[in-house]
Amino acid sequence: MSLGIDETTLTGIGGRTGVGRRRVRTRSTIAARRVHSAGVGSASPIVLAAILCGVQVFFGVAVLVANWSAHPLPLLAAAAWAVLLFAEATLAVIVSYNGERLPTGLFVFFLTALGVAVLLDLVSIWSVEDIGGYASASIGAGFALLLTIAQRRRREIVIAIAVLGVALLAAILLTTPLTAATLPSQLIALCLACLPAAIGLYVVGGFRAIVQRALDRVLVQSTIAGPRLAFGMLASEELARLDAAAEELLESVADGRRPLPLDAASASRAATIATELRLHLLDGRKQSWLYHAVSESEVLGPTVRLSDPHTLAGLLDQHQRDGLLTAVWLLSSELQRSGISISLGPVRPQPPGAPQDRRKLVPIVIEVEGSSRGGVDPATWDELSKVGTFHDSVKQQVLRVEIECWVADPAEA
Amino acid sequence: MELMGKERDRLAQRSVRFVGLAGAVIALLCMLLGGGVEPSSWVATGPGWLLLALALTAIERSGSVAWPIVGLLGGTAVLVALLIVEPLPLGEGVAVGVAALAGGAMPAFALVLAAGAGRAVVLGLATVSSVVLVELLTGGATLLTPYSVAVGLGWLMFAILGYWLRVSLLRITGRIESIGRAYRAERQASEREAQRRQNARLLHDTVLASLTLLAHSGHGVNADAMRSQAGDDARLLRQLKTSSVPDSAVTILNAAEPVDETPLGHTLESVKQRFGRMGLQVNWHGSARLLLPAEVLDAFLRAISECLENVRRHAGVPEAHVTISDDEHVVRAMIMDQGVGFDQALVDEGRLGLKESVVARLQEVGGSSRLFSAPGSGTTVVLEVPKS
Repeated sequence: MSLGIDETTLTGIGGRTGVGRRRVRTRSTIAARRVHSAGVGSASPIVLAAILCGVQVFFGVAVLVANWSAHPLPLLAAAAWAVLLFAEATLAVIVSYNGERLPTGLFVFFLTALGVAVLLDLVSIWSVEDIGGYASASIGAGFALLLTIAQRRRREIVIAIAVLGVALLAAILLTTPLTAATLPSQLIALCLACLPAAIGLYVVGGFRAIVQRALDRVLVQSTIAGPRLAFGMLASEELARLDAAAEELLESVADGRRPLPLDAASASRAATIATELRLHLLDGRKQSWLYHAVSESEVLGPTVRLSDPHTLAGLLDQHQRDGLLTAVWLLSSELQRSGISISLGPVRPQPPGAPQDRRKLVPIVIEVEGSSRGGVDPATWDELSKVGTFHDSVKQQVLRVEIECWVADPAEA
Repeated sequence: MELMGKERDRLAQRSVRFVGLAGAVIALLCMLLGGGVEPSSWVATGPGWLLLALALTAIERSGSVAWPIVGLLGGTAVLVALLIVEPLPLGEGVAVGVAALAGGAMPAFALVLAAGAGRAVVLGLATVSSVVLVELLTGGATLLTPYSVAVGLGWLMFAILGYWLRVSLLRITGRIESIGRAYRAERQASEREAQRRQNARLLHDTVLASLTLLAHSGHGVNADAMRSQAGDDARLLRQLKTSSVPDSAVTILNAAEPVDETPLGHTLESVKQRFGRMGLQVNWHGSARLLLPAEVLDAFLRAISECLENVRRHAGVPEAHVTISDDEHVVRAMIMDQGVGFDQALVDEGRLGLKESVVARLQEVGGSSRLFSAPGSGTTVVLEVPKS
């Protein structure tokens, strides 16, 4: 594929002046938008986390107050809550004034404060021989981790949860005799400390994935409005980059910075730029929207193989393109690990006796490995019917959909 | 964006399964480890547990409201069975297990119930009934045991989480749509830019010629001429970069004053200088204003340039004249030299260096070329392109 060519030739001049770096920047602008998208999804989790923490604090403090007289060191337990609340308030205020970001320094401070609160809480109940029954701020610390989920890496939170769990478990094993009467509350205390943050990670992780996929989808969706053949998002930047490289070289020759005759390195650089520029100026570099959609998408890219030697996808109208793209999207999101192949053409001649309505028949075949008809989202079939009439069959775990797609004849258009 | 709603629902369903099964397992463990549950209770609660497990498993694949209802009925059945069979109030171990069931496993369904009035009613009923049942199971003399309070708060938290999942995704949908519009605009701009650069073929031809010379270190070319040509080309490239001429706009050229400040004027001047350095004096004539789309203009100028190259190689004279004129429909260029000429009958046009690609490109934009020559009386090429 043409994309392969310039990938290899590009490495020829990467590493020297701006040429190679520029490409990286091209990629990184897309990456930057994707990272920014993480912000799109994390705007409100901290508010949610604060509400959930608030509910838990209310309960925890109420239980502590109710048990005040039975508690061996209630003031120490209250101090643990004070430390915890101070840490939570500090975090919430700074993060909301800091554009939803949680700097590492603050995160470390927060975890340290949580550690202190857990320590105070455990020390205050060390003598009662029932950690699970009396633990209060320690469980609050587990909920407090919710506040950091959207802002920090998953791994960091997992480690924090694990440390908290191990600390509680150690305290239980060291002080509490495990009997039928005490076991359930120990188990519950451990779960209440560790599960909320774990559930939070699960939900926020899934949520992020949805946002990421939705962004990928709008990126891909923007291809369907394109012309029959297009250069693609990266082409113009690459052409601009090559023009800039040529300009720089020619200018340095003109003003004598590179003396004539040129040294071998400069000469070979001139040759490389010329070769790439020629490649980029060939008409054949244009590809269909479907090619761009697949190659630019992080969802479709790894799973979809496209075979469209005559770029027939470009002939589909927008409605058909939308249907085809959405169907393929649904198939690939439903069956993430299997491969999907799409092949278009060759154009079939009009059957004899067919009305001469200036249209052509483009057969499209979609094959999905390791799939059955039942595993497919029903909406897929609606989308496919936008493309044309189709029929599907399953043979040896391969779902095969053949679509008869009628398009306007380009010669008549 | 309905796709996103679907994915969100699926995430909520998966979360119900994850949380619900975890809660149910913990509740069972508490009841088993805590002892004190009558063997007859296991028989009585069995069907309820099974229903709950069935609903929690099935909900991953189905968004139907039937599964939450089945699951909640199952959980409630367990509570009611305990209420009937067990001596009250429950012992601490079993009470903890009951709280885990009613405040952890059952509220998981709230994640899919915090949506729409109908589901909210189910949510409300389930919350009230589980709080009341747990109160009846664990309450003695005091009203509101910690267990029933915890159960109520569990329901509250999961309802908030479910509501948040629903609402924040709606909010994000709007932002993602605007990002989508930005993508579309960016793609169009990028496409136009690529087309504009690719259309500037004449410019790229001269740049490629210079680069090829430089690839041979510039040997065999006068160093001053090479530097001057490199300077011209660099300037042209700079102008291509800053030019604000979009592809569909019309480029204006006054051929009588070729060196105006348009990139095109420079291009013409650059053609002249390039041939000048190679020993062919090019004279532009005519005062027609060229009002042509960029693509047509480029093909036109490229063809002219190719004809001049032909004169330089074969005509044997140091001078060529290019006259540009137009009428209502076409713009015409006449490239004339007083050179050796040739017999048209003997020379195949294809060998004249008027590269097929150039002729083809000219035809592509609706233009044509004609050639007149005779031995000893020079050569004239007429190129025509349509104005619109």
